[in-house]
Amino acid sequence: MIALILRRGALSLVTLFLLASFIFFATEVLPGDALDVSLSADEIANMPAEVMARRKAELGLDRPILERYLGFMDGLLRFDLGRTIITRAPVGEIIAMPLRNSVALAGVTLLLALPVALAIAMAAAQAKGRALDNAVSGAAIIGYSVPEFVTGLLLIAVFAVWWPIFPATITASTDDPLSVLLAAAPLAIATTIIGSIAYLGRILRVGLIEVMAADFVERLHLSGIPRWRIIWLHALPAAMIPGLSAAALYAASLVSGVVVVEMVFAYPGIGAELVRAVTRREVHVVQAIALAAAICVVLFNLLADLGIAALDPRTRR
Amino acid sequence: MRWGWMRREVAVAEPVLQVRALCIEWRGADGRANRVVDGVSFDLAAGATLGIAGESGSGKSTLARALLGHCRAGSAITGGSIHLDGDDLAALSEAELARRRGRVMAMVPQNPLASLTFHMPVGRQLEEVLRLRAGLSAAASRLRALELFDQMGLPEAERLARRYPHQLSGGQRQRVVLACAVACDPLLLVLDEPTTALDKTTEAQVLELVRRLRRARKGAMVIVTHDLNVVADICDRVLVMQHGRIVEQGPVGAVFSAPREAYTRVLLGAALRVEEASRAAPALPGPALLEVEGLGFRYARPSLLLRRAPLGPPILDGIGLSVARGEVLGVIGESGSGKTTLGGIVAGLLDGQAGALRFDGRLLPGLARQRTREQRRRIQMVFQDPLSSLNPRRRVGDAVMRPMRLFQGLDQREAARGAAALFEELGLEPALLSRFPRQLSGGQQQRVAIARAFAAQPDLLICDEITSALDASVQAQVLDHLAAMQRRQGTAMLLITHDLAVVWRMARRVVVMQGGRILESGATEAIFRNPENPYTAALLGAASRAARAGRPELAEARE
Amino acid sequence: MGAALRRPAALLGGLLVVIHLVVAIAAPWIAPFAPTSLLDAPLEPPGATYWLGTDDLGRDAFSRLLWGGRVAMLVAFAAGAVAVLGGALLGLAAGYRRGGFDDVVMRLVEMKLAVPTILFVAIFVTGFGQSVPVLIVAVGIIQMMGVVRTSRAAGIVLMEQGYVRAAQLNGESGPVIILRELLPNVADLLAVEFALRASSALLLVSALSFLGLGISPPTPDWGLMVEDGMALLESEPALVLAPALCIATLVLGMNLAAEGLADALGLDAARGGGG
Repeated sequence: MIALILRRGALSLVTLFLLASFIFFATEVLPGDALDVSLSADEIANMPAEVMARRKAELGLDRPILERYLGFMDGLLRFDLGRTIITRAPVGEIIAMPLRNSVALAGVTLLLALPVALAIAMAAAQAKGRALDNAVSGAAIIGYSVPEFVTGLLLIAVFAVWWPIFPATITASTDDPLSVLLAAAPLAIATTIIGSIAYLGRILRVGLIEVMAADFVERLHLSGIPRWRIIWLHALPAAMIPGLSAAALYAASLVSGVVVVEMVFAYPGIGAELVRAVTRREVHVVQAIALAAAICVVLFNLLADLGIAALDPRTRR
Repeated sequence: MRWGWMRREVAVAEPVLQVRALCIEWRGADGRANRVVDGVSFDLAAGATLGIAGESGSGKSTLARALLGHCRAGSAITGGSIHLDGDDLAALSEAELARRRGRVMAMVPQNPLASLTFHMPVGRQLEEVLRLRAGLSAAASRLRALELFDQMGLPEAERLARRYPHQLSGGQRQRVVLACAVACDPLLLVLDEPTTALDKTTEAQVLELVRRLRRARKGAMVIVTHDLNVVADICDRVLVMQHGRIVEQGPVGAVFSAPREAYTRVLLGAALRVEEASRAAPALPGPALLEVEGLGFRYARPSLLLRRAPLGPPILDGIGLSVARGEVLGVIGESGSGKTTLGGIVAGLLDGQAGALRFDGRLLPGLARQRTREQRRRIQMVFQDPLSSLNPRRRVGDAVMRPMRLFQGLDQREAARGAAALFEELGLEPALLSRFPRQLSGGQQQRVAIARAFAAQPDLLICDEITSALDASVQAQVLDHLAAMQRRQGTAMLLITHDLAVVWRMARRVVVMQGGRILESGATEAIFRNPENPYTAALLGAASRAARAGRPELAEARE
Repeated sequence: MGAALRRPAALLGGLLVVIHLVVAIAAPWIAPFAPTSLLDAPLEPPGATYWLGTDDLGRDAFSRLLWGGRVAMLVAFAAGAVAVLGGALLGLAAGYRRGGFDDVVMRLVEMKLAVPTILFVAIFVTGFGQSVPVLIVAVGIIQMMGVVRTSRAAGIVLMEQGYVRAAQLNGESGPVIILRELLPNVADLLAVEFALRASSALLLVSALSFLGLGISPPTPDWGLMVEDGMALLESEPALVLAPALCIATLVLGMNLAAEGLADALGLDAARGGGG
C-alpha cells in the first residue's frame, strides 16, 4: 500500500512538472505582450524604440525564452509566482483570495450535491424502467443540457426579480470571510448544485444499474438476502468505485469550471480573475491560475486513485 | 450447543419437486415474446439427482432459476406449475419466495468469481448467509462457517475465510459458493454448470465433493450442464433439452445406452469412443513441413518507466514438435496449457522469445509482417469464434475473395468464381456469397472462415478450437467438410483443441500439453488406448464417461 | 434508425434539432429585419413591429434571435466533426498498436484534460485570434479527448476479433487494417459520439461567447445576446430569456437525440463522458 502511494505520488509530480512546462510554453507563445496591450496604439506609434526597449527590459519581456522558462521553474520551486506586468503586484496575493472563494464554492456544491445525487441515483436504479426512473433521467438530461448561465439567469429572474427573495448579485466582496460570502451567494450555489446533481446523478445511476445486474447480486437475491441489505452492503460499495473517479474528475473541473457562474453572479472567484488576466495579457496571472487548476486536477486524481485502491481489494495483491 | 445440519423429514417415495407444463416467456426489446421454456414436466424424488443437459439456448439456465422461483428481468412464467414440497412456486408472492430461498431451495451459480462480492472476505459472505437464513448468532455463524469450509475440503479455513474472492483459486471459490448454498441444508439444491470454468484435475475434485454431498444429504439435487460426461458421472436421471423443450428424459443408464431421439443421439455421438477406429488420414511422405524447436514465450508487461518490466510466468517452455506435409497433428490441452499461444506464434500473430521455427527447411521469422509473402500465404488459420472471425460490415464473399486477390492477384470476377467453387466444396450455396455474417448460422460462418483460409491455398492450416463454439449437431458436419478439404488439398493441419473426440476423428498424431509444456506425443491410437502420463489418463477418463455410461460392460473393463 | 425513432424522447430531440436547423438556414429569408442594422428605436418593448423588442443599440431582437444560432451551430457541428474524425483515428491507432504509442497518447489526453477548458480556449484565442476557424479547431481539440478514449476502448476489443487477426497474419499493414476493418465497425459508436460532442461544443461556444472569448460582435449570437441583455434583466427580460431558451432547447434536443441513438444502437451514452 505504501509502495502504491509513493509510486502514484511520484507519477503525479511528474505529470505536474509536465503540465507546468506546457502551461509556460503555451502562454509565453502568445504574440503580443502586456505592454502592447496596456498602451494605446497611438502611444506605441509615438514611443521611440529605445524607450520601448528599456521598458521591456524592465519588465523582463525581452529575455530569451529558455531563460524565462528556467526562471519560471525556479520561481515555482520557491513558491514565487512572479509579479503582474502592469502594476507589479505579487501574483500570489492577487489570486489567493479568489482561489479560496472558488474552492469554497466548489466544495460546498459538492458537499450538498453528492448525497442528493446518490439518493436520486439509488431511487432511480431501484425503480429502473418505471415512471420514477424515467422522470429522473429526463430531469437529469435537462439539467446538464441547459447551460449554467441560463440556469443562473433563470434563477435570478424567478427568485430575485419576480419574487425578490434573494439578491441577484453578490454583495459581499473578495476578502470577506467565507461564511459571509457564501451566505450572500445562495443563487450561485443553487446554480452549480443543479448542474452537479444532474451530472453526478446520471453517472451514479448508470454505475448502480450495472452493479445491480451483476452475478453476485443475483446470488445474494437467490439466497434470500433482503434487498436493502444487498443494496447498501454489497451493491453500493461496488458502484462507488467507478463513481469515485468520475466524481473526482468532476470536482477538479468544478474549481475552474464555475467561471460562467461567477460572471453571472459577479462572484469574486478565480474564473473572473482569469478572464480579466487574459484580456490584459497578464501572463503570470494566467500561468498561476492554470497551475492552480492543474494542481487541483492532479491532486483529485491522486486522491481518487488512492480511494479506489482502499475500497477495491482487487487492486492490491 | 451442538449445531448439526438442519434435517427435514421427507418421505423418500414421494416426489419433492413436481414440474408440470412449465412455460417461461421472454419479451424482447421489440416487444415480441419468445418461449424460452416450453411445456416442461418432470418429477424429482428426495435424495435423487437430476441432470438437465442441453446446449446454450436450450433454456436450461432459465429453467434452473425458475426452480427457485426467479425469472430474469424481461422474462416471466406464463403457464404451468412448480410444486416444491407441496407449494406452487409459480403462484407464490415475492416475499414468500424470498422466505424459502436459501433455506428450502438454493442455487450454486455458474461463475464463482463473479458470484461472490469482490470487496468482502469470503468468510463474511458465508457468515451472512448463516446469520440471516439459518438464524445463527454472530459467534455461532463464525464457528459454523469454519466448519463448513472444512467439510468442503478447504484447507486452513481460518486464514482462507479472511481472503477475498480474487485471492482464491477457481476450485476454492467453487467450494465457497457450494458452502453458501448448502449452509441451511435445502430441500432442493440446483447447481448451474458447476465444472465448466475448471480444469480437469479440479473438476474431478469438485465432482467428488458433489458426490459426497449427494450421499450425505436427504434433499434432491439438480445439475444443469452442457457436459454429458458430468451427467454420466453423478446423476441418476437425465433430462435432455433443446429449444426450451424436453427432448428425452429417463434414467442415465437407459438414455445413454439406448437413446430414442435423434438429438440425444447427436449429443452422445460427440462423446469419445476409443473402441471404434479412428478416421484420421495418413501423412504424405517427405521432410517435415513445420519444425518447432525449444519454443518459449512469456508476456512482458509494458511499462512507461524505463525500469525493466517484470515478466509474467512462462506461457510456453521448451516446446518442440514437427508436422509433416499433409499430416494432421492434434494439440490437446485445457485452458492455460498454452496451446492457443502456440498456434498464435506459428501463425505469426505473436513473437516467440526463445527457440526457433522452421518452415519448409527455412527459418521462419516470428511476426507475420517480417515473413515473406509466400510464407504468409502458405500458413493460414481458422479461429474459435466464427462470428468474430468475419467482419460484420463486409459480405462474406468479400472476406473469402480478399486472400485470392491479395496473394494470387486475381481480379474481381476470377476471385468471385474461385470463391463460389470453394463454397460448393464446403457445402455452402454460392448464393450466400452476398450475405452478411449475421445472416448465417454458426456452422455456416465457420465454413466461410474455412473457405477464407483455403482461398490462399495454404500448406499449413492452424485450427484453434474451431468447433468449441458450435452446437453439437453442427460440429460433426463442419469437421467432415474440413476433413474432406484437407484430404483433397493435402494440407497439413495443426489441430488445437480440448475436445478429445475431435482429435480422435481427425488427427493421426497427437501432442498433449499442460502448463506450457508437452507431456506426451505420438500416434493418437497408441496414446489414447494406453496413456502413459497420469494427466492424459485423467483427461481420457473424464472425456469418455458418457460413452461408457451407455456401455456398462466397458465400465468394468476400464476402472 | 427506425428503432431510434420509436422512442418519444429521441423523436422530440430530433424534432428540436431539425427545427433549429431549418430556422437557422432560412433566417436570411424569414427574418423581418437585418440582424445588424441599427433601427432608430432602442429598448422598445415587445410589440407589433418588433416582436421581441429591440436591444440597447436599436437592433431587432427577433431577427437577431433567428440569426443567432447560425454561427454557433456551424462551429458546434464542425468542431464535432473534427473531434470525431481526429479522435477516432488517434484512439483506434492507440488501441491497435498499444505499447509506447498508446502510453504517450493516453498521457497527452490526461494532461490535456487537466487544463481547464476556458483557459485552453483563452490561450488559443488570444494567440490566433477570435475567428470562426480558430474556434472550430480549439473546441474540436477539447472535444476530441472523449472520443479518443471511447475509440481506444473499442479498438482494444476489436483487436481480439478473428477477422482482424486474419488480416494481420496475411500481412496487411496497420493503417490499412484500421481503415478497412476497424473504422466501419465503430461507425455507430462514432455517430453517437458526434451527437454528444456537438452538443457539448454548442454549450461551450455559447459559454465562451457569453464570456467574450467566443464569437465576436457584431455577429449575432445567442451567447452574446445573453451577455448583452444581462444588465437589463429586470426591464427587458425577453432580451435574455429568448436566446437562453434557444440555446437550452437546441442542446437538449441534441442530447435527447444522442441518448435515443445510443439506446437504439445498444450503446451506453453515459459511458462516453469526459472532455
